[in-house]
Amino acid sequence: SSKRSLSLPNQSHPLEHQWTFWFDNPSAKSKQATWGSAMRSIFTFATVEEFWSVYNNIHHPSMLAVGADFHCFKDKIEPKWEDPVCVNGGKWTVIFPKGKSDTSWLNTLLAMIGEQFDHGDEICGAVVSVRAKQDKIALWTKNASNEAAQLSIGKQWKEFLDYNGPMGFIFHDDAKKLERAAKNRYSI
Amino acid sequence: GQHDTNGNANTAKKYSRDFLLKFSEQFTDPPKGFNIPPEIAEVWIGVNVSHLADRDSY
Repeated sequence: SSKRSLSLPNQSHPLEHQWTFWFDNPSAKSKQATWGSAMRSIFTFATVEEFWSVYNNIHHPSMLAVGADFHCFKDKIEPKWEDPVCVNGGKWTVIFPKGKSDTSWLNTLLAMIGEQFDHGDEICGAVVSVRAKQDKIALWTKNASNEAAQLSIGKQWKEFLDYNGPMGFIFHDDAKKLERAAKNRYSI
Repeated sequence: GQHDTNGNANTAKKYSRDFLLKFSEQFTDPPKGFNIPPEIAEVWIGVNVSHLADRDSY
Protein backbone atom coordinates (compact mmCIF):
# COMPACT_ATOMS: atom_id res chain seq x y z
CA SER A 1 0.00 0.00 0.00
CA SER A 2 3.02 2.27 0.28
CA LYS A 3 3.60 2.03 -3.46
CA ARG A 4 3.46 5.32 -5.24
CA SER A 5 2.03 5.94 -8.65
CA LEU A 6 4.70 8.51 -9.45
CA SER A 7 6.67 7.47 -12.46
CA LEU A 8 10.22 7.81 -11.31
CA PRO A 9 12.88 8.57 -13.86
CA ASN A 10 14.54 5.39 -15.05
CA GLN A 11 18.05 6.63 -15.37
CA SER A 12 20.06 6.79 -12.19
CA HIS A 13 22.99 9.03 -11.43
CA PRO A 14 25.99 7.00 -10.32
CA LEU A 15 28.36 8.53 -7.79
CA GLU A 16 32.12 8.49 -8.23
CA HIS A 17 32.41 6.47 -5.01
CA GLN A 18 30.17 4.20 -3.01
CA TRP A 19 29.53 5.54 0.49
CA THR A 20 28.43 3.86 3.69
CA PHE A 21 26.46 5.30 6.59
CA TRP A 22 27.57 4.10 10.01
CA PHE A 23 25.98 4.70 13.37
CA ASP A 24 27.57 4.46 16.78
CA ASN A 25 25.12 3.54 19.50
CA PRO A 26 25.45 5.89 22.47
CA SER A 27 23.73 3.58 24.94
CA ALA A 28 26.29 0.87 24.20
CA LYS A 29 29.13 3.37 24.62
CA SER A 30 27.78 4.33 28.04
CA LYS A 31 28.25 0.72 29.08
CA GLN A 32 31.99 1.27 28.58
CA ALA A 33 32.15 -1.02 25.62
CA THR A 34 35.38 -0.90 23.68
CA TRP A 35 35.37 2.20 21.48
CA GLY A 36 33.99 1.42 18.09
CA SER A 37 32.52 -1.92 19.09
CA ALA A 38 29.02 -0.47 18.90
CA MET A 39 29.61 0.86 15.40
CA ARG A 40 27.22 -0.53 12.84
CA SER A 41 27.11 0.05 9.12
CA ILE A 42 23.58 0.98 8.08
CA PHE A 43 23.58 1.20 4.32
CA THR A 44 25.92 1.57 1.34
CA PHE A 45 24.74 3.70 -1.56
CA ALA A 46 26.15 4.26 -5.03
CA THR A 47 23.76 6.65 -6.77
CA VAL A 48 22.20 10.06 -6.15
CA GLU A 49 18.79 8.38 -5.97
CA GLU A 50 19.88 5.86 -3.34
CA PHE A 51 21.45 8.62 -1.30
CA TRP A 52 18.15 10.47 -0.98
CA SER A 53 16.20 7.27 -0.32
CA VAL A 54 18.43 6.63 2.67
CA TYR A 55 18.86 10.22 3.81
CA ASN A 56 15.11 10.81 3.77
CA ASN A 57 14.60 7.80 6.06
CA ILE A 58 17.20 8.40 8.72
CA HIS A 59 17.24 10.88 11.56
CA HIS A 60 19.08 14.13 11.08
CA PRO A 61 21.57 15.21 13.75
CA SER A 62 19.07 17.31 15.71
CA MET A 63 16.95 14.18 16.19
CA LEU A 64 19.74 11.94 17.47
CA ALA A 65 20.36 11.09 21.10
CA VAL A 66 23.23 12.72 22.97
CA GLY A 67 26.36 10.65 22.49
CA ALA A 68 25.46 9.52 18.99
CA ASP A 69 28.06 9.50 16.23
CA PHE A 70 26.74 9.27 12.70
CA HIS A 71 29.26 8.63 9.93
CA CYS A 72 29.29 8.71 6.16
CA PHE A 73 32.51 7.20 4.79
CA LYS A 74 33.71 5.95 1.46
CA ASP A 75 32.91 2.27 1.09
CA LYS A 76 35.64 -0.03 2.44
CA ILE A 77 36.97 2.67 4.77
CA GLU A 78 35.98 2.14 8.38
CA PRO A 79 35.51 5.31 10.42
CA LYS A 80 38.35 4.40 12.79
CA TRP A 81 41.87 5.71 13.29
CA GLU A 82 43.13 2.17 12.85
CA ASP A 83 41.71 1.81 9.35
CA PRO A 84 44.68 1.45 6.97
CA VAL A 85 43.44 4.35 4.83
CA CYS A 86 42.88 6.63 7.84
CA VAL A 87 45.91 5.74 9.94
CA ASN A 88 48.10 8.60 8.67
CA GLY A 89 45.20 10.97 8.40
CA GLY A 90 43.54 13.69 10.39
CA LYS A 91 40.38 15.73 10.58
CA TRP A 92 38.97 19.20 10.28
CA THR A 93 36.31 19.92 12.91
CA VAL A 94 33.54 22.51 13.11
CA ILE A 95 31.48 23.04 16.25
CA PHE A 96 27.83 24.09 16.16
CA PRO A 97 25.34 25.13 18.82
CA LYS A 98 23.24 22.23 20.01
CA GLY A 99 20.77 21.02 17.39
CA LYS A 100 22.03 23.43 14.72
CA SER A 101 24.12 21.14 12.55
CA ASP A 102 21.47 19.63 10.25
CA THR A 103 21.99 21.94 7.28
CA SER A 104 25.77 21.80 7.52
CA TRP A 105 25.68 18.01 7.80
CA LEU A 106 23.62 17.79 4.61
CA ASN A 107 25.87 20.28 2.81
CA THR A 108 28.91 18.27 3.88
CA LEU A 109 27.38 15.06 2.53
CA LEU A 110 26.39 16.69 -0.76
CA ALA A 111 29.86 18.18 -1.25
CA MET A 112 31.48 14.80 -0.60
CA ILE A 113 29.25 12.59 -2.73
CA GLY A 114 29.10 15.22 -5.50
CA GLU A 115 32.93 15.31 -5.59
CA GLN A 116 33.07 19.05 -5.05
CA PHE A 117 36.48 19.03 -3.34
CA ASP A 118 39.53 19.60 -5.54
CA HIS A 119 41.36 17.08 -3.35
CA GLY A 120 38.45 14.66 -3.13
CA ASP A 121 40.83 11.70 -3.21
CA GLU A 122 42.10 12.85 0.18
CA ILE A 123 38.70 12.54 1.80
CA CYS A 124 37.76 9.48 3.87
CA GLY A 125 34.38 10.64 5.12
CA ALA A 126 32.56 12.78 7.66
CA VAL A 127 31.07 12.27 11.09
CA VAL A 128 28.54 14.28 13.05
CA SER A 129 28.79 13.91 16.82
CA VAL A 130 25.86 14.90 19.01
CA ARG A 131 26.93 15.95 22.47
CA ALA A 132 25.18 17.44 25.50
CA LYS A 133 26.05 21.06 24.75
CA GLN A 134 27.06 21.10 21.10
CA ASP A 135 27.17 19.28 17.79
CA LYS A 136 30.42 18.67 15.94
CA ILE A 137 31.05 17.76 12.34
CA ALA A 138 34.46 16.40 11.39
CA LEU A 139 35.83 15.78 7.92
CA TRP A 140 38.39 12.96 7.87
CA THR A 141 41.26 12.96 5.39
CA LYS A 142 44.01 10.51 4.47
CA ASN A 143 47.42 12.17 4.45
CA ALA A 144 47.57 14.62 7.34
CA SER A 145 51.12 15.72 6.49
CA ASN A 146 50.03 16.93 3.05
CA GLU A 147 49.45 20.45 4.25
CA ALA A 148 48.48 21.96 0.90
CA ALA A 149 45.75 19.38 0.35
CA GLN A 150 44.38 19.76 3.88
CA LEU A 151 44.28 23.56 3.64
CA SER A 152 42.52 23.36 0.30
CA ILE A 153 39.92 20.97 1.72
CA GLY A 154 39.39 23.09 4.83
CA LYS A 155 38.94 26.29 2.84
CA GLN A 156 36.52 24.70 0.41
CA TRP A 157 34.56 23.08 3.23
CA LYS A 158 34.12 26.50 4.87
CA GLU A 159 32.70 27.82 1.61
CA PHE A 160 30.31 24.90 1.23
CA LEU A 161 29.07 25.39 4.81
CA ASP A 162 29.04 29.18 4.51
CA TYR A 163 30.94 29.09 7.79
CA ASN A 164 33.21 31.96 8.83
CA GLY A 165 34.43 30.85 12.24
CA PRO A 166 37.71 29.16 13.14
CA MET A 167 38.44 25.64 12.00
CA GLY A 168 41.26 23.39 13.20
CA PHE A 169 42.94 20.28 11.82
CA ILE A 170 44.14 17.58 14.18
CA PHE A 171 46.35 14.63 13.21
CA HIS A 172 44.86 11.28 14.27
CA ASP A 173 48.33 10.33 15.48
CA ASP A 174 48.33 13.29 17.90
CA ALA A 175 44.79 12.49 19.02
CA LYS A 176 45.81 8.90 19.74
CA LYS A 177 48.84 9.90 21.84
CA LEU A 178 47.58 13.08 23.48
CA GLU A 179 43.80 12.60 23.44
CA ARG A 180 42.13 15.90 24.34
CA ALA A 181 45.51 17.65 24.63
CA ALA A 182 46.13 17.22 20.90
CA LYS A 183 46.61 20.62 19.29
CA ASN A 184 45.57 21.86 15.89
CA ARG A 185 48.37 21.41 13.35
CA TYR A 186 46.59 23.65 10.85
CA SER A 187 44.08 26.42 11.47
CA ILE A 188 42.06 28.51 9.06
CA GLY B 1 46.98 25.67 -12.55
CA GLN B 2 43.27 25.24 -13.06
CA HIS B 3 42.15 22.69 -15.61
CA ASP B 4 38.44 22.61 -15.11
CA THR B 5 37.65 21.94 -18.73
CA ASN B 6 36.14 18.82 -20.21
CA GLY B 7 39.59 17.83 -21.30
CA ASN B 8 40.52 17.20 -17.69
CA ALA B 9 41.88 13.70 -17.19
CA ASN B 10 39.94 13.63 -13.96
CA THR B 11 36.80 11.63 -14.75
CA ALA B 12 35.11 12.21 -11.37
CA LYS B 13 31.35 12.24 -11.51
CA LYS B 14 30.73 15.70 -10.15
CA TYR B 15 27.33 16.94 -9.03
CA SER B 16 26.67 20.40 -7.68
CA ARG B 17 24.66 20.95 -4.52
CA ASP B 18 21.79 22.50 -6.47
CA PHE B 19 21.70 19.58 -8.87
CA LEU B 20 21.63 17.02 -6.05
CA LEU B 21 18.91 18.92 -4.20
CA LYS B 22 16.58 18.60 -7.19
CA PHE B 23 16.22 14.91 -6.37
CA SER B 24 15.60 15.30 -2.67
CA GLU B 25 11.83 15.06 -2.75
CA GLN B 26 11.60 12.43 -5.47
CA PHE B 27 13.12 9.62 -3.46
CA THR B 28 11.35 9.38 -0.14
CA ASP B 29 10.82 5.62 0.16
CA PRO B 30 13.60 3.64 1.80
CA PRO B 31 15.75 1.61 -0.59
CA LYS B 32 15.33 -2.15 -0.86
CA GLY B 33 17.16 -3.96 1.88
CA PHE B 34 17.25 -0.92 4.13
CA ASN B 35 16.83 -1.93 7.74
CA ILE B 36 17.78 -0.02 10.83
CA PRO B 37 19.31 -2.46 13.32
CA PRO B 38 17.00 -2.77 16.37
CA GLU B 39 19.49 -1.34 18.86
CA ILE B 40 19.81 1.77 16.71
CA ALA B 41 16.08 2.15 16.11
CA GLU B 42 15.68 2.06 19.86
CA VAL B 43 18.01 5.01 20.29
CA TRP B 44 16.35 7.01 17.55
CA ILE B 45 12.88 6.48 18.89
CA GLY B 46 14.10 7.37 22.37
CA VAL B 47 15.20 10.84 21.32
CA ASN B 48 13.93 13.57 23.58
CA VAL B 49 10.94 15.09 21.83
CA SER B 50 11.68 18.56 23.18
CA HIS B 51 14.36 18.86 20.49
CA LEU B 52 11.53 19.26 18.02
CA ALA B 53 10.85 22.69 19.44
CA ASP B 54 14.15 23.87 17.95
CA ARG B 55 13.01 23.20 14.42
CA ASP B 56 11.84 25.94 12.14
CA SER B 57 8.11 26.44 12.13
CA TYR B 58 6.34 24.91 9.20
